[in-house]
Amino acid sequence: MGRIVLNNVTKSFGETQVIPPLDLTIEDGEFAVFVGPSGCGKSTLLRMIAGLEDLTSGDIEIDGENVTETPPSKRGLAMVFQSYALYPHMSVRKNIGFPLRMEGLDQAEIDKKVEAAAQSLNLMDYLDRKPAALSGGQRQRVAIGRAIVRNPSAFLFDEPLSNLDAALRVGMRLEISEMHERMKTTMIYVTHDQVEAMTMADKIVVLQAGVIEQVGSPLELYHKPRNVFVAGFIGSPKMNIFSGPAAEALGAHTVGIRPEHTDVSMTEGTWKGTVGVAEHLGSDTFIHVHDTGLADMVTVRISGDISVKHGDTIYLTPQADQLHKFDAQGMRVE
Amino acid sequence: MSDRKLPRLLQTPAVLLLLVWMLVPLGMTLYFSFIRYVLNNLRRPEWTSPSLSNWRGFGNYEFVLNSKDFVLAIQNSLFIVVSILFLTVILGVLIAVLINKAFPGQGIVRVLLISPFFVMPAVNAVLWINMILDPVLGLQGIAVNGINDVLDNLRTMPVLGGFFSLWPEFEPISFRATQTSAIAVIMMVTWQWTPFAVLIFMTSLQSEDQQQKEAAVLDGASVWSQFRFLTLPHLGRPIAIVVMIQAIFHLSLYAEIEIVSRGNGNKNLPYLIGEFANNNIGAASATGIFAVILANIVAIFLLRMVGKTLME
Ligand SMILES: Nc1ncnc2c1ncn2[C@@H]1O[C@H](COP(=O)(O)OP(=O)(O)OP(=O)(O)O)[C@@H](O)[C@H]1O
Ligand SMILES: [Mg+2]
Repeated sequence: MGRIVLNNVTKSFGETQVIPPLDLTIEDGEFAVFVGPSGCGKSTLLRMIAGLEDLTSGDIEIDGENVTETPPSKRGLAMVFQSYALYPHMSVRKNIGFPLRMEGLDQAEIDKKVEAAAQSLNLMDYLDRKPAALSGGQRQRVAIGRAIVRNPSAFLFDEPLSNLDAALRVGMRLEISEMHERMKTTMIYVTHDQVEAMTMADKIVVLQAGVIEQVGSPLELYHKPRNVFVAGFIGSPKMNIFSGPAAEALGAHTVGIRPEHTDVSMTEGTWKGTVGVAEHLGSDTFIHVHDTGLADMVTVRISGDISVKHGDTIYLTPQADQLHKFDAQGMRVE
Repeated sequence: MSDRKLPRLLQTPAVLLLLVWMLVPLGMTLYFSFIRYVLNNLRRPEWTSPSLSNWRGFGNYEFVLNSKDFVLAIQNSLFIVVSILFLTVILGVLIAVLINKAFPGQGIVRVLLISPFFVMPAVNAVLWINMILDPVLGLQGIAVNGINDVLDNLRTMPVLGGFFSLWPEFEPISFRATQTSAIAVIMMVTWQWTPFAVLIFMTSLQSEDQQQKEAAVLDGASVWSQFRFLTLPHLGRPIAIVVMIQAIFHLSLYAEIEIVSRGNGNKNLPYLIGEFANNNIGAASATGIFAVILANIVAIFLLRMVGKTLME
């Protein structure tokens, strides 16, 4: 069980309000991802749910019970920190067993649970090492192990993979997703990595300056961004967004088109421009086009390889059914 | 010149200086400890200048071992050093943890806490023994008198007076006496050196990882468990440093002992050396060698102990 409800929650540090009144519901078993630019309050929100940060006003319910005044350890939540926060003087075994020891379980039971967790995380060979003697990925696994043994009603992750290298990230991302499939426990995951958000989430919460811009499934956010901010934030490479005469010609104040929804031709098309940098990835080609009169730079993404070089003239045509239109307030219009 | 020779050559003066610095005094002490060498002897004037012809073998060592104060001096040295270490580490940790939290007036409190460290040892001893511990004129005497006065008044009360008349009169303690002078030394040195421990522990506490603490809070650790399982192990190394440095300093305490009781019933090894050195340099040197050995034993023993209990 682990249904988390935030009612009218706010947070101020001194005079500055970091989180204006905010409502959010995370269903039991859901994998929710908080994304947003740096400093938008993702960590603060997560720490408020964990109980590490007091609320300025509003309240938090877990499984229908108001836990606003409940101390962190009694909320039944487990948290994995970006810096791992392992206890440096304890072996891996003791680190993982620490929450159980604090609960006052007897040693035999602690050993059993620690070994089960270590088994599932491939840590059996490292149980007697100190954290300092582990690699980043192994440390992260220990931190996850320490969360798992508590059998929490929800896991909270604060950018758990950002200290790992690219290859390890992909691996751990899959492991965490698999763990979620297997355990069906609620998870809240903070990241600023697009790919992590899109691949792992059941539900993405996009934040800006403490305000929820949109809540929805990854594909909902991709296909129907509610406003210009979400449109520009979700998707990589970024959506091309422009206003002015070209947008008015399409019947909207602001128009957005994703790089992958633009067709190119060397001879004819809606917009004309010159090729700046072309990035050849093998599977895809990203072309940065200048002098289109839309925006400083328009990015297009073409599947496969195409031979264009710097300075070539190129024509772009948006796929009409993939255009995103926004009004003067930046809100989506259908 | 090859790559390695030049750096070696450049290091040589420093290394030589250090060697001379350490080896010459130690060598001379060893030499004097094996010969008869006194400052004043009318019957045997040849003993008054150091010479190999006055060779005495282990005679000085035997003389020291058999002298009536030697065992007392060793016991006292250990008792004083270990007590001071124990008290300063415990008080240091407690105070450091207490003032590590932000509170108004923190800056002033910290400066005040450090200030005993800037008092000269001899001044410290004079202040304590005369103004605080003196049974008549010191704070102690005044306090004991005050309590006794209050008790006298209580005894005259109608009903409860009977109960209070069962209480004895309090006697002020003389800290210059044989049994208590070591205690006085321990008190005054602890007062002076606790700030040193606080300073070192405070710096270390500030480098403690706050996320570890938060993780422990989520794991259900009480304040005591956080202290026991996170803070104390984190302080392991600074505690070892404080213990080592203080052990070295306090094995050579002298001024406090001289001022409190002139060594009366409360000698330590340095004080014994000082007494011998009034005339018998040979015996003083032999005692010095014993002091070196004792210092090494204490250092090894303490390091082991600190390492075992805290760095598990
Ligand atoms: N203890 C604090 N005191 C004052 N302001 C704070 C405190 N903690 C956070 N803030 C402010 O609150 C805002 C949100 O911080 P938060 O750490 O939640 O951002 P974030 O979204 O997690 O950013 P990042 O992606 O960089 O981790 C920031 O503007 C930050 O400066
Ligand atoms: Mg953050």
